[in-house]
Amino acid sequence: MWLVVIFCLLIGLFIGFQIPVSFPVLYAKYMSIAILAALDSVFGGIRAYMEDGFDSTIFATGFVVNALLAAGLAYLGDSLGVDLYLAAVLVFGVRLFQNLAIIRRYLMKKY
Amino acid sequence: MRSRNAQITIAIVCLILGVMLAIQFKTQKTINESLKTGRVEELSQSLIEVTKQRDALYEEVQELRDKLQNIRQVDQAMADLQDEIMKANMAAGLVPVSGPGIILTLNDSNRTLQSGENPNYGIVHDYDILTLVNELRASGAEAIAVNGERLTAVSEIRCAGTLILVNWVRIAPPYEIKAIGDPEMLASGLNLRGGHLETIKILGVQTNLQKVDKLELPAFSGAMKFTHAQPVILKNEAE
Repeated sequence: MWLVVIFCLLIGLFIGFQIPVSFPVLYAKYMSIAILAALDSVFGGIRAYMEDGFDSTIFATGFVVNALLAAGLAYLGDSLGVDLYLAAVLVFGVRLFQNLAIIRRYLMKKY
Repeated sequence: MRSRNAQITIAIVCLILGVMLAIQFKTQKTINESLKTGRVEELSQSLIEVTKQRDALYEEVQELRDKLQNIRQVDQAMADLQDEIMKANMAAGLVPVSGPGIILTLNDSNRTLQSGENPNYGIVHDYDILTLVNELRASGAEAIAVNGERLTAVSEIRCAGTLILVNWVRIAPPYEIKAIGDPEMLASGLNLRGGHLETIKILGVQTNLQKVDKLELPAFSGAMKFTHAQPVILKNEAE
């Protein structure tokens, strides 16, 4: 499982660095929020996987929707003049750490 | 539920995440290399401000150039005016002048009067000086002074008892008329046959005409006051 995750991440990074696609600077902020949401989803998925409550559909949709929602929210915040992306950063950051903590406990229990 | 399905999903998601991360890394790198996002706004703000300042300075430059142009014109006008004023002052006798000219000295007759002779004949009168001054003016004298009193446009030469008044200053013989102009012209003008100088010479007045290369006439020392005369400024001149 871990091998798959790390391996796929590395392949993705490699592909990303190889393909000549770059995001416009203007939207880099939304991209980073989307990535944060995606990271959260992935960790959440790993946690669910370890808890044996993993659902492919929830995971996949969560990944896509969370990323889009976070980016859209940040964009909306920018349009309104409210730093809504901070809320996204906070929420996803907190969840990220929670998920990580849970994963760590499971791993400690396991080994 | 550690199915193959879940692993595949996670694998795909991780792949996508990896790609996104890589792209974001690249983007962030280019941002860091060129400008920090936070500074873009700041810089654009300062750019706007600097542009405004530049426009303002450009306008100022234009304005100053116009002013400089005006000043140059005004300077020219001022120089012309100064020139005019100097000329007017010279004509009015308000500045000391120097130049070639003549010195005419007149003194009362030293002849002992014969009985029955009119003593008036041998005396230099105000009208003698007036006539001679007139003669000098006609001969092109540019500045005249009688006994150090510069003749101006408002100067008078008149008799006051035994003395003569010039510029309200009493002068006494010997009278020294200094005139600046072409010495030859002035001298020949005075020495005209039948001229006044000849006449008074015959009458016994002691005269001495001297041509000098350099003569200095003082300025009119009094004050010029105009209580009644008002300058009439022509409209087209004032413009």
